[in-house]
Formats: sequence, structure tokens, C-alpha cells
Amino acid sequence: MFSYNFKYELKSLLRSKWLILLTIILLTLVLFAGYSGKKKVNKRVFDIEKANNTVKEQDITVLKVLDSIEKGFVINQNLRSLPTNPMNIGYSYPRVAAMYPLETAFISTGQSDLFTHYVQPKAYGDSFFFNHAEFSSPIQLLFGSFDLAFVIIYILPLIIIAFSYHIFSLEKENGSLKLMASQPISIYKWILQKTMLRFFVLSVIVVLVLTIAFIINNYNFVENLAEYLYFLLLTLTYILFWFTVVLLINIKVNNSAKNAVSLLAIWVFIILIIPAIIAQAANTFYPIPSRTKMITDVRALKDDVSKKQDKILDNFLRDHPEYASNKKQNYSFWHKYLASQDLVEDEVKPLIKSYETQLLKQQQWVKLWQYSSPAIILQQSFNDIAGTSTTHYQEYRTQVAKFSAKWRDFFVPLLYNNEKFSTKLYKQLPTFEYKKPKYTSLLFKASIVLIMSMFFLLITRILFYNKSKKGTIIN
Amino acid sequence: MIITRDLTKKYGDFTALNKLNLKVNEGEIFCLLGANGAGKSTTINLLLNFITPSSGKAFINGLNVTDNARETKAFLTYIPENLMLYPTLTAIENLDYFLGIGGKNFSRKELEFFLHEAGLQQEAFHKRVQFFSKGMRQKVGIALAIAKDANVLLLDEPTSGLDPKSSNEFGELLLKMKKNGVAILMTTHDIFRAKEIGTHIGIMKQGQLKYNFSCNDKSLQEIENLYLETMSLKDNLL
Repeated sequence: MFSYNFKYELKSLLRSKWLILLTIILLTLVLFAGYSGKKKVNKRVFDIEKANNTVKEQDITVLKVLDSIEKGFVINQNLRSLPTNPMNIGYSYPRVAAMYPLETAFISTGQSDLFTHYVQPKAYGDSFFFNHAEFSSPIQLLFGSFDLAFVIIYILPLIIIAFSYHIFSLEKENGSLKLMASQPISIYKWILQKTMLRFFVLSVIVVLVLTIAFIINNYNFVENLAEYLYFLLLTLTYILFWFTVVLLINIKVNNSAKNAVSLLAIWVFIILIIPAIIAQAANTFYPIPSRTKMITDVRALKDDVSKKQDKILDNFLRDHPEYASNKKQNYSFWHKYLASQDLVEDEVKPLIKSYETQLLKQQQWVKLWQYSSPAIILQQSFNDIAGTSTTHYQEYRTQVAKFSAKWRDFFVPLLYNNEKFSTKLYKQLPTFEYKKPKYTSLLFKASIVLIMSMFFLLITRILFYNKSKKGTIIN
Repeated sequence: MIITRDLTKKYGDFTALNKLNLKVNEGEIFCLLGANGAGKSTTINLLLNFITPSSGKAFINGLNVTDNARETKAFLTYIPENLMLYPTLTAIENLDYFLGIGGKNFSRKELEFFLHEAGLQQEAFHKRVQFFSKGMRQKVGIALAIAKDANVLLLDEPTSGLDPKSSNEFGELLLKMKKNGVAILMTTHDIFRAKEIGTHIGIMKQGQLKYNFSCNDKSLQEIENLYLETMSLKDNLL
């Protein structure tokens, strides 16, 4: 039965021009989405490279000046801005702490519209911690970006619905079902094969057009094969899920017009309503304190600390006798500022933590409820693969915070020991390298979508059996 | 051979078919007449196991239809009032599809032979059926019966909407099949065709077989009178 079903269903599809139209639509959407995603990624890389080049140019100038000073030349520069002063380097020549996009970043924009991708932590200030340099437009945030994830999660189900909403009902309405049912076959197996055949055909087209999009975007298949395969696996399980929904509705409703309306309602529910409910519930149960208030509080706290800086410096020198000089020394702003930083961090920590805790609780809530909609599972998984998930940005921020402390700490002994900055020390300046967190459970997530599909198939089977008994399947 | 024993179908309080007993032997054409809603199509649907009987039994070639749905379908061919094929496939492809899906594989030449036997013009063999007339589509159905070597043919108002020439051609085909030993059960409103090709006529009313007689026993006028009697408005409303 299968070979005949395959042969003639494919022939019918090819002759009805549906497949050509479908391929053209998908190819256009996927290529445009790939281009759109890549454009965003290129902008990120360009911005980071620009910042890196500026640092490189500054380095060349500073090294020349340092070299001249070390060779005994007189430099025509303000004494206070000379690079021999370590704090001038720490403040005016920061390194770039960049989160380079992964090669898969064009798949899903994820949180990259919200967060910054490079910062330059200085010896003074920590505003990078609150900065959102690349805010996206509110409209874009509302509807998401046009990337491959958007095409797969939002548009592909609509294409599946348009492709198969009447896969069974049309047979009934046209009258061919009665003739088919009078053959010595199982109608359930026949319609299941027909549906799976369409799933197979669409999967082949989707895999082909996605692969073309990856090739056009110069994707390195050798180095990132696992990500590519995970991406395809998740996409295919999602397509399967929608085909099982289509089959279920065909059996349950069994009227082409009503099928289309029901399937669109399910699309709205799974893709728009469930995620909206989860997001609203997260905001209601775990409201995040005002970000503006937090920043104001942090500033007020810092002001308080700065007023007590003389006392703090004394305490600091007591705790760090290695920095306390025997000679009478005039302590500058930098001495006082750096001495107060540990205290500031300790004081600020609870404020930031209250904000972070709520954010974490929201994320945990979403994590827990992501399994209520395959659309959320897929979005989360694609963000993981693309390196644009919340986890990636949190990890980046944590790494930047550590690097910032490392950068500042590099200058503390130089400042307190009254050491001059040199070309030798320049080479020892700390550098930042973003280490991406490992994504886990992608296979598990694909399995969940698969289990959902199997569940729908089981319901379809039961429904078919019951309707057959009532005699409402064929008539 | 087709046999029904007290075959009954109820939908809640409504009885669509009430204790139907009939027998169609090989080489017989049993024409089932009756007004719309008299239970003709219900009988066909029960014989095809599209619906299950509330009580009673139906047999095809001695096999209980309810217990052996798939096995009995191997022996029969069903031609509905409006036989619909796959419009984008040709006549020969449609025939190949319906036969192949049921496990019967034939060569191209054999398929062409079956279509020729069913009376379809040769130039239509490889044309898409979307432009076929009803009569041409029904010939594909007959070709299906010939290819399946079906010894039971179930026809649900097959001549309604056919022009006299096509109706006549279709009647000829049925007589040919009858001669080959096929048991044919045909529901129809066409008294003239029933009298012409049938061996037996049954007239149904409100789910019951009111009359069952041999075609040779009654004239066309008598059959018409009986048919009109069962169609009287007063009785049908009761």
C-alpha cells in the first residue's frame, strides 16, 4: 500500500503545482530571513571590530610614547595624562570585552536585540553593568525579528496548515473517500501514510532550503555540524508536531472550512496566547523592581561611600599593609576610589541581587512552562544554538564583571607602590575572552516535541476508532 | 453472493433500516427502488461496513461483513452515485492506484485491457480524469470491478444524471458482468432501467423492504404503481 500511496500522492502534489509554489515561498522566506539574521550579526561584528581597531590604534600611539619616555626623550604632553601613570592606562585605554556572535547567531536574534555585545570596563565606574547600548525598537520587540527562528516557529505552521488542512476532509467532500474505503485497506493507515508522506516531502524541502541558507551564509559545517544537526532535528520534530495537529483536526472536525478555522485558532493559541500568558504570569508572580530606581539607589549608595573615603582608605591600608608606604604619601583620588571599591561592591550586591533574583525567578518560571508550547521550546532551543539566549547574556555579564575586577586589580599594586607604567607592563594587561556556556538538553527538548506529536497521534487513533464505530468517518 | 438477515440500523429513535432480508445470487441483478430516505443507501453502507448494524447481519460470499470488513471488500466493487477519482491522475493511473493500494499489481497492458473491457475509449486512457464525464468515470469504476475480479458489485444510484446513451451503455456493461456471474445490488430511481436489466426488484419504504419480486412477474406499469404507492406523501409522513 505504501509504495502506491507514495507514488500517486507525490504525483498528485507535483501536478497540482503545490510543491513548486511551496518551495518558492519557503526558499524566499528562508533566504530573506537568513540574510536579515546575518545582517544583524554582521552589524555586531562590525561594531566590535571597530572598537577593537580603536584600541589597537591607541595601543600603537601609547606604546610609542612609552618607548620614547623609556629611551629618555622629552615628551610634549601634559604630565597628568602621561601613560606612565598606571591609572591613565586603566581609565583611558580600556580593553574590549566582547561577546562575539557564534557562527549560528543568524538563526535566532533572541536576546541580542536587548543586550550589548561589547563593553570597555575602565578602572573607574561600573556603568557597563547597567548599560543597554543596543536597544531595539518597541515594534520589533513586540513581533520579534525576521530571522530563521521566526520563519520556522511562526510561518512554517501556517504553511503546513495551508498545505494540509483538508488532507482528509477533501477526500470526503470530493467523494473519493468512499471509493477508497471500499478497497480492502485500513483507512486510518492510508490517511496516516498520506500525512506522513506530506511531512516527508515538506521536510525534504525545508531541509534543502535551510541548507541553502546556511551555505549562502558561509556556514562552517565541519566545525559546527552538531549545531546544524540539532537545528534540523528540532525543526523536523516541530513540523511533525504540526502535521499531527492537522491530522487530528481533520479526523475530529472533518470539514475543510471548519478545519482551516480550527487550525488557525490552534496556531494563535500555541504560538501567541500560551507564550503571552506565561510572560504575563511571570510578571505578575515575580515582578521586577524598577530598573531606574535600582540605578538611583546604587548612585546614592556610592555617594555615601565616597563621603567616607578617607576613613575607608585608612581601613584599606590597615588590611593591605603591603601598600602602606613608610614615606609620607599624598593619596590621590584614585587611591581613595580603588580602596572603596570592595566596600561599594559589598553594599551594592544586595540591591542588584534583589533585581537579579526576580529576573532569575521569571526565567525559571518560563523554563518550567516552556513545555506547554512547542513554539516556546523551539524558540529557547534556537536561542541556545545561536548563542543569543538569556543564559548566554547572563554568562557574558558575569564574565565581564570578573574581567572588570581583574582590570582594576591589575592597577592597584602599581598605584600604591608608586610604580610607573611601562611597555613591558603593557604586554601584561589583562585581556578578555568570552567563553560561551554549553547548551544542554536539546535532545531532551526535541524528545518532548516528539512525545507531544505521539500524544496527538494517539488521540487521533482513538478518535478515528470511535468515529468509525459510530459510522461518521466515511459518511 | 449477498445475504442480509434482519439487518437493522437505528440512529437513536429513528430506524433507518428495519429487519432487511434479501439475497442476491451470482449472476443476478437486484434493483432496490424507493424514495429518498427509504433506506437504500443505508443498506449499501452497511454492506460496505461504512456503518455498523444495530442488529442483524450482512454477508458477502458467506463472510460476515462486520467481522471481516477488509476480507469482504476484496470480493466487491462499489460504485457510488458520483464516482470521484483523483482529478490530477489519468484514468490508467487512477485504476493502478486503487488496485495497487488494495494489493493488486497489474502491468500497463493489463490495465489498458480492463479499461477497454469497461468500454472507455482508448484516447481517454492517459488523460487526466478531471475533464471526464460521469459516464466515463463510472467506466473506470467498472474497470476496477473487472480487474478485481469482483463477484459482488454494489451500485448506489449509478445511472442518475447519466444521459440516455451513457445510461444504456452502463446497463449493457452490467448485463455483461451479470453474465460473468457477478452478484449485483443496485439502488436506483430508474424503474425503466431496473425492469430492463434487473432479475429482481425490491421496493423500500421507511427502512423496510415492502415488495420483493422477480422482474418477469410484473409489468413496467405494475412496478410503477407499486413504486408510486410507496412514495405517497401520507405514508411517508407516518
